[in-house]
Parts: sequence; structure tokens; C-alpha cells
Amino acid sequence: MFQELNRGTPALPTPRAYRELTPLKRREMREGLLFISPWLIGFLVFTLLPILASLAFSFMNMKITDGILSPPKFVGLDNYIQMAKDPQIWSIGGGTRGSLWITVLFGAISLPVGLMLPLFIALLMNSRHLKGKMAFRSAFYMPYIIPFVAAVFLWGGMLNPESGWINRALVAVGVPRDMTPNWANDVNWVYPTYVIMGIWAIGNAMLIFLAGLQGVPTDLYDAAKVDGANGWHSFWKITFPMISPVIFYNLVLGVVFLFQYFTVPLVVNQGTGRPGGATMFFNLYLYKTFFTFQNMSYGAAMAWLLFFLILVVTIILFRTARHWVYYAGDGKS
Amino acid sequence: MRNKRLLTVIGLLLIGSMLLAACGGGATPAPAAPAATEAPAATEPPAATEAPAAEPTATEEAMAEPTATEEAMAEPTEEVAAEPEATLTAEEQAAVASAAAAEAMAAAEASGKTAIRWFVGLGTGTDPQQIEAQQAVVDAFNASQDQIQLVLEVVPYDAGRDTLATQIASGAGPDIIGPVGWGGSNAFYGQWLDLTQYIEDTGFDTSVFDPALVDSYQTEEGQVGLPFAVFPAATYYIPAMFDEVGLEYPPQNYGDKYMLDGEEVDWNWDTFTEVAKRMTIDVNGFNSTEDGFDPTQIVQVGYSPQWQTHPNYVSSYVAGSADIVDGDAKGSYSVNMPDSWKEAVQWAYDGMYGDQPWMATGPMSGAPEFGNGNLFNTGHAAMAVTPLWYTCCLGDLRDSGTEFQAGILPMGADGVVHGRVDADTFRVWKGTKHPAEAFTVLSYLITDGGDTLLPNYGALPAIPDKQEAFFAKKSEDYPFITPETWEVFKAGLSYPDAPSAEQWQPNWNEAWAREQTFWDLIQNTAPDALDFDAEWQKMIDDLNVIYNK
Repeated sequence: MFQELNRGTPALPTPRAYRELTPLKRREMREGLLFISPWLIGFLVFTLLPILASLAFSFMNMKITDGILSPPKFVGLDNYIQMAKDPQIWSIGGGTRGSLWITVLFGAISLPVGLMLPLFIALLMNSRHLKGKMAFRSAFYMPYIIPFVAAVFLWGGMLNPESGWINRALVAVGVPRDMTPNWANDVNWVYPTYVIMGIWAIGNAMLIFLAGLQGVPTDLYDAAKVDGANGWHSFWKITFPMISPVIFYNLVLGVVFLFQYFTVPLVVNQGTGRPGGATMFFNLYLYKTFFTFQNMSYGAAMAWLLFFLILVVTIILFRTARHWVYYAGDGKS
Repeated sequence: MRNKRLLTVIGLLLIGSMLLAACGGGATPAPAAPAATEAPAATEPPAATEAPAAEPTATEEAMAEPTATEEAMAEPTEEVAAEPEATLTAEEQAAVASAAAAEAMAAAEASGKTAIRWFVGLGTGTDPQQIEAQQAVVDAFNASQDQIQLVLEVVPYDAGRDTLATQIASGAGPDIIGPVGWGGSNAFYGQWLDLTQYIEDTGFDTSVFDPALVDSYQTEEGQVGLPFAVFPAATYYIPAMFDEVGLEYPPQNYGDKYMLDGEEVDWNWDTFTEVAKRMTIDVNGFNSTEDGFDPTQIVQVGYSPQWQTHPNYVSSYVAGSADIVDGDAKGSYSVNMPDSWKEAVQWAYDGMYGDQPWMATGPMSGAPEFGNGNLFNTGHAAMAVTPLWYTCCLGDLRDSGTEFQAGILPMGADGVVHGRVDADTFRVWKGTKHPAEAFTVLSYLITDGGDTLLPNYGALPAIPDKQEAFFAKKSEDYPFITPETWEVFKAGLSYPDAPSAEQWQPNWNEAWAREQTFWDLIQNTAPDALDFDAEWQKMIDDLNVIYNK
């Protein structure tokens, strides 16, 4: 798919090819580069340079609190070796899990919900029996345009164990007060709470699914109907394969988002890892290592670990994609 | 052709403006005094499980007494110019403050004086009224001599550590930092100047302090501080609650016994626990020791730690302070927490989730009706064990007409009282270019300047001669407090935690946070879902890694 996208993208010519260009073409190229230069300069200075700097820092012992009084030294792979045996990253069992395991555990709940729910809603939105489609689509998409932090605060209020209306409603319908969830303050409820908060932002994924669903040729369904297929068969044999590229796209984005999960625990639980360290997601731990624990080199090493984890998982996903993602007219990917 | 040239020119202008927009930080914000309309921290009490800044923060201080902010809110201010600052984040306010300080430093140096920058933001000192008092001290100092120009830089507490870390990292650290407690100091371990030489050179008289307090600032890096403000701990209690259940008040003289069920017993943690259980009442009026007690509907607890919610605090009180770090270099560090510390934390855990609870769990203490962590202040706790700075935060209790007093701290299982003395002081940054001048300023702040600063910080002077004035002022705030209660606090100075509960640990910030996480876990997890021993061991294992990062 991505090769397709890249097809036709003009590349910079070699010096020899540049000399062979007509004066008009050369001028056009110069002007093009001139116009793109603000972005290029910004990228080099504010993205590429920090990336390279962080790589260099990860091989040093730089702590911000050491300041100029003890200049950083090159320590080779020390930070990476230390990281490889850091239980706060890798630890699996018990109440205080490692940040990576917390991230994976949360992903096991949030990813399926984050994929299936918008798909389900998109299927409803795509139904020809639904009246007022535009209103529903707008309603489901609308929360997405609310700033996420504001939405998190909103949910925080609704899910407040004491004053939130959700628990009040539970009490009103007969749930004993001491049985109502303590939501974000309870080790067992905090992940479902975060998932519920995340549902707020599914509008975008729903819209992408909807676009995919509307791209499925209707004659396929007609043919299936003639062959006696029921709704499930139609979905499983036609809809799913036809929108599998969209599912794949959302899955990749979801995995990347998961590894970078940060805002919700930072806002809802103040980035403390509360309750009991259950919300110390990898990206939050990375952030805290940098800016709270002020261990810049170790934080840089963690950032590179995050990069490689995302890279590896994404590669694995792409490898598996050839078995289940279907591109019409192009065979499997 | 002309059009093309025009387009090129416009394009270049656009590129130029975009680059300028990207590189420039916008107009330099005008340095401004902290806004009178600044959102009061008083409305945001620390959550129950929040890692407490042991040093009294502006937040805590603001909670008790009406601050200038609150007064300003009550009477609409006409200082419209100050208003926009209220919308700035802590980091933005810090940036504004730093820019203003940098400008003032440049002006001072241009006038031929030695500019000394005083950084406030690691503890108390960020409240509007405190800033005013600090500025008054700065003005008085500057007026007193013509060699040094002192410049005040106040950043919000929330941005204090980051701002200071950034300044130090860039080699632009301040000369004087404070007030700062043990924790804040340990977060910047290795950055403090040894004052020994300057004490000797200037003949500064350290005999005005209790020698034990002077020694407490002696580290392997030398004498890195001098006493300024101290906060001894005591057992706060509400007499009316004791009267209601017919129990004796906690004793008010160290060495006195406690009368329980007609028998004289030691005022130790066992007695304390028994009293706390009997003071823990459910909605039906049963106490924790009675049949029919419903632990899910507690309306009053016997004990609230009041932000002393960290394993190291609890252990220091109950089991006694201990040197918890072994080793002398990265790679060799290890945790050396005594078993008694584990037992102390287990004791607290039983208090929350045992058969006869006497302490609030995490969810309970975080609930609004229990004061979002400031439980004793709501009148739902009979006792609290915490340092003197907690008198900052009892305005609601006082205003509700409930009186409180303080008794002595219980003694440990070893028959010894293990107290705590929090302390705030000023430090000189090791990287200062003007150490002698910085020490001159420091000397002034902890002596003459202290007369103005200490009442505004709500802090007990470390110089004994000045303590009476402090208690007189506190008695104005809490007229019902008896002289015996103040004597309890004074006596508490004899029971410091040495080494401090907030003692240095390698990678202090992370180690402290990891220990806090353990506390938070036990506070929020019932025994059926928690293996206490395994989690304790996990914390130790994690700390061993953190120490050597």
C-alpha cells in the first residue's frame, strides 16, 4: 500500500542530473526548495537534532541536577544494560507491575475496545435502516473535536466516586454505596475507567471505518444474498476483508497510541502512578525519568527503547498483515 | 515576469516571517509582581495519597488562614494588569519570574554591586503575602549596605524543582535557595556549598542554635546549611471526641503515663492503637472494637497521619529513624531498611484494612467529606501525628468551633520516643560566583531577616530566643490552644529524626517516589488482593536498582 503511495513522488536529482536540467526546471527546483525550507529547517533544528542528541545522551551519565559541576561522561551501554534489568520497566507479576507490562495489560483491554466499538458504531451508521444518519454521525463525532484534556477532566468529574453522577446513578438504582466503583482510584477499576474515557474519542476511528464501509461495492452484498448468505456471513466474508486495510490502519495507529499513552494518567492521576503504581505507563515513566527524576541519559535510553518497541511491533503487524489484510485488485498485501 | 518576481519577494517575506515566528519567543513578557488575583492554592488541598512535600508548602499554609489572595478575591481588585497572570501555568509564571530576576540582576551588576539571586519555590514562600514579606526583607537588606544587591526570584512551587534543575544544568543557578526542607535539598544533593569556611571567616556565631540542629546539616560534603525554621511533631487531638467516649487525653509531658481502663500504661504505639480503635466510629455508633461495627461505614477514624503518608515517615515515628542506604558509590548502593520499618508499615496497613481498623483507607481519606486528605481538619479524626507546620491547615476545624490540642508522641516498642523535626533553611548553590556575598545574605536571612520571614512562613524559629513570639502569634490564630500544648511542641525538638525520614538516598526523587508508590498501593488495596511481604520485597528490589541507576 505504502509503495503505491510513494509511486510518482519526485526525488531530488543527482548533481549530474541537476546540471542536465533546463534553466527553467532548475529555477523551479530552487524555488520549491526555498518554499519548503522553513519546514526543513524546523525539522532539522527541532526534530532531527534533538533525536540525535537524545541518542548521544543515552550513552552518557547526564543528570540535570548534576549541572555544570560534573560534566556528563561517556558510559557506553551502561544505561541500556541497566534498563534491561530494571524491574520498574519489565516486572510482570504482583501489585506494582513494570511500566511496560502495565502498558501491554492496558492495551489488551483498550485496543479491542478501541477497534471494535467504532467499527460497530460505523456499521450502525452505515445501515440503510437508520434514520437521521447525519445527526447520529455528528453526535458520535462531536466529542472528538473537544480537546482531550478537557474531556478527561469532564470524565473525571462524572466518575468521581463520591460526587460523580455515575456512582450516584448506581446508588439510585440500588447498588449499595460501598459496592460502587472507586474508578480511577481503585487498582482494579482504573484500566476500565481509562478505557471508558477513551471511548469519548472514538469518533475519528468511527469516521474512518465508515468511509471504508461505504467503499465496499454493494453488488457484492447482492450477490451474497442471492447465494443465501446471512448477515454474519456477509460481514465476515465481504465486509471484513473489504475494510481490512482500514482495520489494519486503525490497529497500527492504536498500537502506536498505546505505547505513547500519557495524557490520561497524567491528568487523572496527576502522573503519580496512582493507585499503587498501576498507572505508571511506559511513556509516563519515561517522562518522569526525564523531568521529575531528572535522569536525562536514562530517560533518553528509555525513549530509544520505546522507539524500537514501536518499530518492532509495527513490523510484526505489517508481517501479519499479508495474511489477513486484503487490498482489492492487488491480492493480499 | 514581474508577477513572478513579486511572488518570489512575497514568498521570501513569508519564509522570513515563519522563521522568525518559529525562532522567536514572542515579546518578552513584562516582569510583573505575582498577581493579587492568582488562583489560591488553598482551594486545592493535596490528595490523600499525594507524596507530601514535607516542608510546608504554600498550599498547606494557604489552607488555614485567609491569605492575601483570598482577601483579594473577596474584595475585587482594581489591578487589572495583574489579571492575565492568573491564567498562566506554573511553568509560564516561573519563566516570567526568571526573566524579571535576570533583568534585575543585570541592572544590579550595571550599578557596580555584586548581584545575589535568591530563589524561592522549593517549599513555602510562594504565597502572595509571603512574597510581599520576602520583598520587604530584600529591600531592607539592600538598604542596609552598598556592596550587594539582593534580587528575589519566586517561582510557583509546582514548577520550582524543574526550574531550578534547568537553571543549574545550564550553569545559571541562583546564589541562594530556600526555604527548602530535607526533601527538596536531597533532590539536589551535591549542589550545596560547604559553609564551613565562610562561618569561620565571618565569625558567624552558631552557638545561638541548638548544636544538634547545627549538626543535622553536616553531611559528607560539609556544613551545607544552618538552622532556620524547625517543625517538631506532636499528637494533635480533639478533646471533645475523647470526652464523648470517656477516654483520657494523650499526655502532655514526655515521660508521663496514660490512664486506660483505670490502669496506668505507657503512652506507646500499642496504647495509641487501642485508643485509636475506640475512637473509630461507624455510622451506627459502634467503635472498631465492638461487635456490629461496620468498617464500610466509618464516620470517624481514630488516627490520621496527615500527609505523613510515606513508609519512611510512618517507620520513623513508629520504629525510629535509621540510615537506610548502604554503600558509598554507584554500583555499591543497597537498601538497608530495618525489619522494624516493615513492621511499622504493616501496622499502618492493619490500621486501614485489619479486622479492627482505626485509620482511613486511600479511598476514604480522599473523599470530599473527609477533606480530600486533610481529614483531621474536617473533624472526622480524633488524632493526627504530624509536625508543627500542620497548624497551617486547621482553619476549617477552628472555624467550625472545634478545638484541638496536642499531646506527646507515643514511644516505640524499644521504649524510646521516635519523633520527627522537619526543618526549612536556605542553602547556597555550590556553583555561585560569589560565595562570600551569598553567605552574607544567608546570614542575614536566618537572623535579622528571619524576624520578618518566619511569622510569614508560619515557622518556628530555630533560635530559641525567638520562639516565644512565634507561639504568641499562633495563639492569636488559635486562642483555645493552651500553653501546655505549645510546650509539647517545644519538647518535641528533643526528639528529632536523625537521620531524617527524608534522608538522602541515591536518585532521591525516584527512590522517594517508589516508596510513595508502595504506600499508595497498600492504602488502596485490601489484603485479599495484596501480598504485603511480596510487595515490600519488590519495593526493596526496585530501590536497589534505582539507587544504582
